[in-house]
Amino acid sequence: MIDFVNVKKAYPNGTMALKGVNLHIDDGEFVFIVGHSGAGKSTLMKLLLREEKVSSGQLFVGDYDLTKLSNFRVPHYRRELGVVFQDFRLFPKKTVYENVAFAMEVVGTPRKKIARRVPAILNTVNLAGKQDSFPNEISGGEQQRVALARALANNPKVIIADEPTGNIDPKMSLEIMSLLLKINKLGKTVIVVTHEKNLVDYYKQRVVSLRDGLIVEDRVGGMFSEKI
Amino acid sequence: MKRYNIFYFIGQAISSMWRNGVMTFASIAVLMSLLVVIGGFTMLVVNIDVNLEQFGVMNQIVVFCDRDATEEQIVDIGDTINKLDNIDTVERITKEQGLQQLKDQEPDLYNDVTEENNPLSDSFVITYINNDKVPELDYQLRQIPGIIKVNNRLELATTIENLKSGVMLIFIWFLAILGVVSIFIIINTIKISVFSRRNEISIMRYVGATGWFISLPFIFEGILIGLFASVIGYFIEWYVYSYVENIVVSDYLQMISVVPFNDIKDLVLIGFIGIGVVTGIIGSSISLGKYLKQ
Repeated sequence: MIDFVNVKKAYPNGTMALKGVNLHIDDGEFVFIVGHSGAGKSTLMKLLLREEKVSSGQLFVGDYDLTKLSNFRVPHYRRELGVVFQDFRLFPKKTVYENVAFAMEVVGTPRKKIARRVPAILNTVNLAGKQDSFPNEISGGEQQRVALARALANNPKVIIADEPTGNIDPKMSLEIMSLLLKINKLGKTVIVVTHEKNLVDYYKQRVVSLRDGLIVEDRVGGMFSEKI
Repeated sequence: MKRYNIFYFIGQAISSMWRNGVMTFASIAVLMSLLVVIGGFTMLVVNIDVNLEQFGVMNQIVVFCDRDATEEQIVDIGDTINKLDNIDTVERITKEQGLQQLKDQEPDLYNDVTEENNPLSDSFVITYINNDKVPELDYQLRQIPGIIKVNNRLELATTIENLKSGVMLIFIWFLAILGVVSIFIIINTIKISVFSRRNEISIMRYVGATGWFISLPFIFEGILIGLFASVIGYFIEWYVYSYVENIVVSDYLQMISVVPFNDIKDLVLIGFIGIGVVTGIIGSSISLGKYLKQ
């Protein structure tokens, strides 16, 4: 469960990025966050990732109250999230297997468990057989699937995808979106930040539209809002 | 969560040092210079102390008795000296012992002098406790009947003490300046390492790695820079010191004594490693502050 309660975010330079956001996302939901540049999507993501703190209001993610979360607890909180970026952020000198395993290594997962889990995740994202390839040997869509596998590595409750199809062709985009839906069906909450109208309209999921730091529309089974 | 293998962190640190070779080299070179200068000054001070002790100029006054004084009068003088304030030890040197000492030092020069024509008088070697009260003690000794000369080397001792203080002052300034420069360069080296691994660090943070997990490779990098600098610095110090020792011993034989490097080598090595490692840790910790805070 994710709850934004009248969340406002002001940056030190005076920019008011969020002006009172109220948003409730249940466990297992699939949500598109849409909006043009400057609407507040990135700030919303940063707050969810606890890269930034809310200026006022309250933000809850599962059992965590992010308004009161100490810096010491932030790493433990982040293990509840899986993050996918537009630019993949893979390690070019690590194989597909190593890229996924890395996420488990840094939180101290035993090697045996890593060896069991990584092939299973690669299978989930249809990358079985590619585990020894390096990122430059696979396509953009496959690279994004590796990033998705890495996001799933620590079995998070929530997957946050920031423009996951921004750097790949339309066909691959559909594949990535299908995978995100498949992951959602496995019980994960999935939040996709995007400005790709075609995809949003095609998948008809819940769509939260942001403009100037405020939610202007929130529809289940919705389309890309005309209000933004 | 299992404890992470220390070799992982060391491996990461070494690969980072290799990637930023030039900055790593600069850090090691500056820190090493700092250590060599610290070592050089410390050993200079140690040697000054040793020589002062050897010359006996510190805390020592010699008084000479009247040559015509009787044994009874000399014993009385000794008793009077012992009763004065600020006295640590009093040792009587008879004129016979004095002559023997001279003969031991320069046998050829004093061959003709015998106990019958011995020109020396009995003397007392006094060691005192407090330097500040020496003028007072000097005055009191001169008032004792039967004492004809008071040999007070406080002025020489003060001059040497001042010299030592001057050396210490220069040493402290050098230490401060080189210390700041070393830490500054290490901070920059680690910052470059952090920058070159920013992608990796950002992923570590997003998947929930703790600040310590992210920071430890950089802390180890600082420690390794400190270790390399201290070990190389130690060997340079050894070489330079031995070189100077040879010159001093051959040119000023018996006038100046030099503490052999072997006597202090363990202390120098431990000191170098201690200072090097601590400086490395301080430098890397400063540049990593924000990562430790998440």
